[in-house]
Amino acid sequence: MANDKEKKTRKSGKTLETAREAGYFGKKMLKSALQAREEGRPIGWSMVTWWQGELIAKAMGVEMVFPENYGAFCAAVRQAEPHLEIAESEGFPSTLCGYARNCIGYAKKLADNNFVPPADAPGGGLAKPVFFLSSGCACDARYKWFQALGRYLDHTPVWTLDIPQTGTVEYFLPGNKEAGIQFMVKHLRAYVTFLEELLKKKLDYDLLGQMVDQTFKTLRLAHDVDVLRRAKPSPMISTDFWSVMIPHLYLPYDPEAYEFYKRVYAEVKQKVDSGIGAIPNEKYRMMFSELPPWHSLGFFDELAERFGIAMVMESWNYHAPVPIPEEEIAGINDPIELIARLSYRKWTEYNEIARRYNVDPGFFMAAYFQYAEDYHADGLFAHPLMSCRPATYTLLHTRNMLEEKLKVPGVVVDGDIIDLRVFNEEEAFSKIEAFVETMDHYRDLRKKAAMAW
Amino acid sequence: MASETKLQGLAKAKDIYNHRSKRARQLKAEGKKILGYFCCYPPLEIMTALDFLPIRILGDMDEPITIADGYLPTVMCIFYRSCFDCGMKGRYDYIDGFVGSHACDGAERTSHIWKNYMKTPCNFFLDIPHTSRPEAVDYFRLQIDYFKQTLEQFSGKTLSPDRLKEAIALHNEQRALVRELYNLRKPDPPLISGTEMLQVIIALMMLPVQEGSALLKEVLEEVKTRKNVPEKKAGRLLVWGSLIDNTAFTELIESAGLHIIVEDTALGTRPFWHDIEATEDPLMGLAKHYLQEVKCPRTFLPTGSSYKEDLEGRFSYLKEFAKFWKVNGVFGNIIRNCDIHGYEVPLVREYLEALGLPVLIIEQDYSTASLEPLRTRFQAFAETIG
Repeated sequence: MANDKEKKTRKSGKTLETAREAGYFGKKMLKSALQAREEGRPIGWSMVTWWQGELIAKAMGVEMVFPENYGAFCAAVRQAEPHLEIAESEGFPSTLCGYARNCIGYAKKLADNNFVPPADAPGGGLAKPVFFLSSGCACDARYKWFQALGRYLDHTPVWTLDIPQTGTVEYFLPGNKEAGIQFMVKHLRAYVTFLEELLKKKLDYDLLGQMVDQTFKTLRLAHDVDVLRRAKPSPMISTDFWSVMIPHLYLPYDPEAYEFYKRVYAEVKQKVDSGIGAIPNEKYRMMFSELPPWHSLGFFDELAERFGIAMVMESWNYHAPVPIPEEEIAGINDPIELIARLSYRKWTEYNEIARRYNVDPGFFMAAYFQYAEDYHADGLFAHPLMSCRPATYTLLHTRNMLEEKLKVPGVVVDGDIIDLRVFNEEEAFSKIEAFVETMDHYRDLRKKAAMAW
Repeated sequence: MASETKLQGLAKAKDIYNHRSKRARQLKAEGKKILGYFCCYPPLEIMTALDFLPIRILGDMDEPITIADGYLPTVMCIFYRSCFDCGMKGRYDYIDGFVGSHACDGAERTSHIWKNYMKTPCNFFLDIPHTSRPEAVDYFRLQIDYFKQTLEQFSGKTLSPDRLKEAIALHNEQRALVRELYNLRKPDPPLISGTEMLQVIIALMMLPVQEGSALLKEVLEEVKTRKNVPEKKAGRLLVWGSLIDNTAFTELIESAGLHIIVEDTALGTRPFWHDIEATEDPLMGLAKHYLQEVKCPRTFLPTGSSYKEDLEGRFSYLKEFAKFWKVNGVFGNIIRNCDIHGYEVPLVREYLEALGLPVLIIEQDYSTASLEPLRTRFQAFAETIG
């Protein structure tokens, strides 16, 4: 067995060639923003808004960077700690989101360095923004955090975009879906007005339309890759996905992202057609929820080696949405409305299955019912995170409901997105070792119940 | 249990505080339907207008969280974990309906999860935007309308605009009475303690609005004429942040040489500080009030053109409290894992210290078992003020 030092620095073995290429896009984002700074072009710091606000800003010439992604990057290269310490010394509670504390600490360093990214900043750092794009969706941190950054980055306005988050029953109330979409359309038009005033230029709707069109294509292709992954053995696993997701989540409008996904699709299809699994000895198919331990992705390789566990599906919030039915967008040419429908789709895509199983909420949770059915999952790896509440709130509940309604058990292994000290690998392996027997047991139960898997 | 027919005013409030479900259970036995709700945002006026009794669901700092461990993670708002734990232990088994809300993450996720395990004949989840621009108000008005329709269906009644306006007037009357009671904390020493105030506020949230207002009138009369005012202390505190719902906490603070003078919390001024405007469309009046006038950091306010402008926009109302209630210190109460207040901590501290107000921030674990170690911190704070 690898010694401690080797374990801690073991990188994950991505099984796809294209997954190994995907790091290019993360670096491209950082580099583009630094280049924009050099050239005097505006930069925005953005939350993931599920394509709601990023596309519009990009169409207006703003180079967008994503501090959430930067937090994951800093964690992966083990350079988040100094930023966390700064945030805590500034008085921000240590229980706040790890990505946020990483960003707050970095923002202070940026401010102290006269708004020049410090020379030792991981990945070259994030350049000073002209505005912050925050989100009222998914969690409170995602609008409170950017609000707090005014302390270090003065005269930098924050714009918050909402996405309706109704309950399952409420979603189906007559007219509520369309009302939610039209709320978002008006919301986005107000955002456009804000940007036009800030940047002193008009939005090029034709350009935005092209970007939206490309986005739909890229996300469709990313979804098609997800569909391929239903094959047995699984052609692609979670550690691959957590790399390849970067372009579709952050850069779906980029033609390079689309070309990349064509290669991903081709590679995965080839493996499906050849019956080649991502891991050589697939015995168990597990789902992972929700955010991974970026600092310790090699852990999943060892799960595969030791137990034959293939992580076949994961992280609902990072995936491309199930495509919108054509009839819902037929004849709609307004790119603003298409964006609204796309983002709304992401947050409501599994409400039908939530209704079928009579569970709430539809987001973060119901997806795993669909995944269990589609991917023939044997178990759920539920990963509560010390500093990411949205990705943690519903984990135990999801585990409970999957076990009750689909006879798919779950194992709970604590960790964190940033703080590697919280994740005890040996303890995790022990739990999984015992859990394998649980998965065997529930397979028998499903068989006796004549379920499909 | 003291006979309630002999109790009036503060003693009655204390009795209701100690026996929170008692009145609701009595009314339920008489045929009234009870709705349990989370936080300050579900419109009480609609519930009242359709003859429901709205009951604020609270946790219990005295009760160790046990059952909730199997359903909710430990790294979340402890208050909402406690609420869920109390629910699973049957504390709210008398409610006929549950009204969840997208107030903050804790309220939102617990609302969704609650419905899966505690079945009630009526449920509604009120989505509340985090922004408050006109399109958000319009959207929120629609959600309130759906809420109304859900309750109409459950009750078998139709709510007329006039009836709703009457209910709004009743709740506005109660708000005004609460503000009048807060005025009695301006004198030095204040005529009513923080502990007594908390008992009154929680009692109001367990009673029909008219009974609550009647109680308030008794309390006002009693407090205005009382001879046994609290002893004068050097410290006059504004409590800002997460709610306090247990008098063990207020008693500890007040035994440390501090008065609690005003609470900017969900069990203090926030639900009561502004009346609902009488609008032609009462649902729009409700939407505007709850989204734009309830002062809670869960609602994102535009940041303006500078950090200074942002702080003024978000916290300037605290200056009014400080000035008119002669506050000389601030206790920032943060229930552990409360994000909406947690992100504000350095900012609100900076703002208040710039006003010359010393600030004590404590992250606490929402448990009476963990209160005692805080005593010396409050005592030390009192000494810095005194």
